[in-house]
Amino acid sequence: MPQLGETVAEGTVTKWHKKVGDAIKADEALFDVETDKVSTEVPAPVAGVVAEILVQEGATAKVGTRLAVIREAGGQAARPAVSVAAPATAPTPSVAAATAGADARSRLSPVVSRLLAEHGLDARAIAGTGRDGRITREDVLAHVAQRGGAQSSAPAQSAVPAAASGAETAPLNTIRKRTAEHMAKSWATVPHVLQAVEADFSRVDAARRAGGEQWKQREGFALTYLPFIASAAAAALVKFPRLNSSFAGDHLVLHRRVNLGIAVDLNFEGLMVPVLKDAAGMALPRVARAVHDLASRARAGKLRPDDMTECTYTISNNGAFGTLLTAAIITPPQVAVLSTDAVRKRAVVIEGGQGDTVAVRPVGMLAQSFDHRAVDGAYSAAFLNEVKTMLETRDWQRELQG
Amino acid sequence: MAELTYREAVAAGIAQEMERDDCVVFLGEDVAAAGGVFKTTVGLLEKFGPKRVRDCPISEQAIIGAAMGAAMTGLRPIAEIMFSDFLAVCWDMVANEIAKTRYMTNGQIALPLVIRTANGGGSRFGAQHSQAVENWAMAVPGLKVVAPAFPADVKGLLAAAVRDPDPVLFFEQKSLYAMKGEVPDGEHVDKLGTAKVLRQGKDCTIVALALMVHRALGAAEILEKEHGISCTVVDVRSLVPLDTKTILGEVVKTGRLVTVEENPRLCGWGAEIASIVADECFWDLDGPIVRITTPHVPLPSADLLEDNTIPSVDRIVREIREKID
Repeated sequence: MPQLGETVAEGTVTKWHKKVGDAIKADEALFDVETDKVSTEVPAPVAGVVAEILVQEGATAKVGTRLAVIREAGGQAARPAVSVAAPATAPTPSVAAATAGADARSRLSPVVSRLLAEHGLDARAIAGTGRDGRITREDVLAHVAQRGGAQSSAPAQSAVPAAASGAETAPLNTIRKRTAEHMAKSWATVPHVLQAVEADFSRVDAARRAGGEQWKQREGFALTYLPFIASAAAAALVKFPRLNSSFAGDHLVLHRRVNLGIAVDLNFEGLMVPVLKDAAGMALPRVARAVHDLASRARAGKLRPDDMTECTYTISNNGAFGTLLTAAIITPPQVAVLSTDAVRKRAVVIEGGQGDTVAVRPVGMLAQSFDHRAVDGAYSAAFLNEVKTMLETRDWQRELQG
Repeated sequence: MAELTYREAVAAGIAQEMERDDCVVFLGEDVAAAGGVFKTTVGLLEKFGPKRVRDCPISEQAIIGAAMGAAMTGLRPIAEIMFSDFLAVCWDMVANEIAKTRYMTNGQIALPLVIRTANGGGSRFGAQHSQAVENWAMAVPGLKVVAPAFPADVKGLLAAAVRDPDPVLFFEQKSLYAMKGEVPDGEHVDKLGTAKVLRQGKDCTIVALALMVHRALGAAEILEKEHGISCTVVDVRSLVPLDTKTILGEVVKTGRLVTVEENPRLCGWGAEIASIVADECFWDLDGPIVRITTPHVPLPSADLLEDNTIPSVDRIVREIREKID
């Protein structure tokens, strides 16, 4: 199968002009081929007799596949390698080269695979200039440079105009740089869907009112909504294992442990996500202490490398500034992230047997971004509903006493 | 700057250190009255006298044993082993005693000594007088290993080796002794464990040592001019400590590593560098690592055969053209 254009990997034989045993002249039409890009007639590279036809009409073959054998007129031996030549419209040196080319193109060097992944590129979109058509590092970099900033995060940096007079430049620290890299990559490669439910925090508030003061005196820090949400989310993840998983291309890795990443803002100097290991089944007071411990150590710069690993699901808490809803970005290979926003008193319609009434209730949004490659909206919604139901119905007051 | 030969740089380095420090002494076979069989130590006996510059009997064990004892008791000896092949004769003392003394005495005894030796091929000396054995030394924990390619490095690294508190094996490539080069005037001390980037290119990084540095530079010139392949050339200079930072940095820039080694292929020093590069910058590699080495054979003495065995400029050009696309 000849190479019909640089980005074409296969072609379909639509018609053989000769059958086995027919004599054929050089440059006489041998077969018709159709690809994504072109339909064309392929001439015989040499004169002779068609000895074998190996790919039937209608069949699709990869570039380089042997399609037929022409025995040279009066010749003794078949000439298998020179079975077809490229059409005049898209010349290639030889079938042998095209065969090697297909292999060379599919074998990517480490740096090329990495660069393709970083820029979200498909190897098939890049013309290889290396031996046998291999894609080299230079080819990828040239492609990225040529493509410009429009489609890629990396070249976008060069498209930033020079600072206008009077403007200051703010250099990025390491956390910022890594965050930029990770967020851009996630945003570019993961199809995000955002879903949100409203939860009534009355029972949580009741527990905080009843035990909060005593807790603060005993533990030395205030009891926030976060431990309650983390506790509910961890329990819900056990029931919805596909959200506690890693996306691995053609399968999901469902994690046995529920390790919750807790996003911690470092007073506007970046974001760290320490991990609360084995959160499922952990008693509420332990969750509260662990979350507080991780957040304090994150802000004090005292996290250990181990505190940042093996995260299976992330919670981002933005409520402190009164936000209504946050569409968080997933950290691949995790498949979802939960954002919790401000809990505020709202007038809520309560449906009852004797008619509807309006009540004042503490209400907050629970918003989940999920990877639509991994799960669908109904699954995500069922999970959110589970978290909401737990927050609204569990006996938090008793759980707080441990 | 003065122009010195590689062999004159040896004597200049030793003289500089003997002038600076009375504790520095020098011993070996035919090193004093004869000025060294390779004429690397001419004038030292006249300058420093027979007490500090000594001819020894033909016994490598006597030379190394004396040097070890001298270092243990406060001197800073430089011992010469005429051919590096003969290190095998005294290897027990080098590998088991000298290399391990600091450790075995819990740091109570350090051995600040230098073993200089004429290493490598290209001079038609045959299988027992031509080996490049820097990889033997590299394989022994407790030894530092230096192999300079230029007269200036001979003087500067030899001075650094003498001042180092631990044993250093100093491999002089015997086919380079006649080579001339600029050497800084006045006191010249270099730093162990630093590689040098001699040429910057964009397609591949050649890492070489001693004689092979010159051949790599020759090959890089031809590759650039005749074949459009532009190469970085790194002179490793010191195998232990190894300047991995420079090597890794230069490999990352081009995405390709080629080592050019005079030692025989199996467990040559380039294998260690290849392993480090594969470990630490795999995701920056744009192709397989290439090692160009002497094959795993005893070196022939016949000129044509020896030239076909040790990597030549032509062979480096050919292999890089074949393997780098």
